[in-house]
Amino acid sequence: MPGQTLQHRCWDDEYVLYNALSGDTHLLSPPAIHLLQQLQQAPAAEAALQDALCHAFEFDDGADPARETALLLDQLKKLSLIEPCPACLP
Amino acid sequence: MPSLSSLSRRELGAQLAGDGIWLQTGRFVARLQSAVPGVADGLHLLYGDYPLRDSQGFADFHLRLERPKNLRRWFRPQVHMRYDGQADFLPLPYGHAFPMFEWGLNWCVSSRANRYLIIHAAVLERDGHAVVLPAPPGSGKSTLTAALAYHGWRLLSDELTLINPEDGHVLPCPRPISLKNASIGLMRGFLPQAVMSPPVHNTEKGTVAHLKAPADSVLRAHETVPPAWVIFPKWQADAPPTLTPLTRAQTFIQLAENAFNYDLLGARGFDTMAAVIDGAQGYQFTYSRLDDALDVFARLAPPAL
Repeated sequence: MPGQTLQHRCWDDEYVLYNALSGDTHLLSPPAIHLLQQLQQAPAAEAALQDALCHAFEFDDGADPARETALLLDQLKKLSLIEPCPACLP
Repeated sequence: MPSLSSLSRRELGAQLAGDGIWLQTGRFVARLQSAVPGVADGLHLLYGDYPLRDSQGFADFHLRLERPKNLRRWFRPQVHMRYDGQADFLPLPYGHAFPMFEWGLNWCVSSRANRYLIIHAAVLERDGHAVVLPAPPGSGKSTLTAALAYHGWRLLSDELTLINPEDGHVLPCPRPISLKNASIGLMRGFLPQAVMSPPVHNTEKGTVAHLKAPADSVLRAHETVPPAWVIFPKWQADAPPTLTPLTRAQTFIQLAENAFNYDLLGARGFDTMAAVIDGAQGYQFTYSRLDDALDVFARLAPPAL
């Protein structure tokens, strides 16, 4: 997001992230941080982000990677950490 | 440097009613002026060990407590507090003057000392390690702090934990411990040797009294300490003493929720908080008996880093 500066620290697989743009601090899971780091490099489509998650993490049996990815992106959006990018919409 | 005890009660009252005294508490110097006898009584009883700085020297805060010049000087008399000459506080009943001074000095530090990360928490030290005790009112924080301060722990503060962003250490600011309601009688029995101010009734916090800080804590107020434990205490009737570890990330979030100026400090606040969490282990602590709590705290081992 324009003007956004993020800092994070990790202890025992839990991440604490500081967003200088909002002044908010968040407790995030490793997959959420992974998505955020992907999107910090460049905007990406949801399918590509799902692939990135599948590559980096093992999903539990029965878990739906598409649904999990969508949920994580929705959470990050509600925290004002990411925003939809029209160019990436299907 | 002379201490406040070098003044007789009469001399103290005269100085307070005149140019004031320059009282050092931890890193801060407060210039205090008041002709209200209750303020001089409280200072004479509880602040004898504190250094007095040169009059007319620099002061971080200028506080004056005075009787109003209007009808409320005589009818249901009140006391006003001025900070840097401004009366930004609601007046209180005249008999509440000393608690008002205590709350006023807390306000000065918590709202003005923003070069430090300020957490609403008691903090004590043992063997070079600080334990930070953040907790909301009613959790028994001050009662536990008073017990610890008189049983082997050095009091750094009952109310405000100041973290220096430069090195992550706690800056002591030991002051009298504010006891409320049932804890006043409890601590009279538990610490019969400790000096306590007369209870003041019907304040906005109920009945309050202040317990004198141990002299050693006041004399060592220049010794900073790194935090080793962050413990969120909660008194609960009949509960066995239970110390439950928190993850460091959980400790970070809960500690930040208890900070006065974490948001104000921005990234510097985040880095300072992270430095605290790097070196400290977090716990939830539930207890009902002070003796149990003292045993648990005596057995705390510094975290392995």
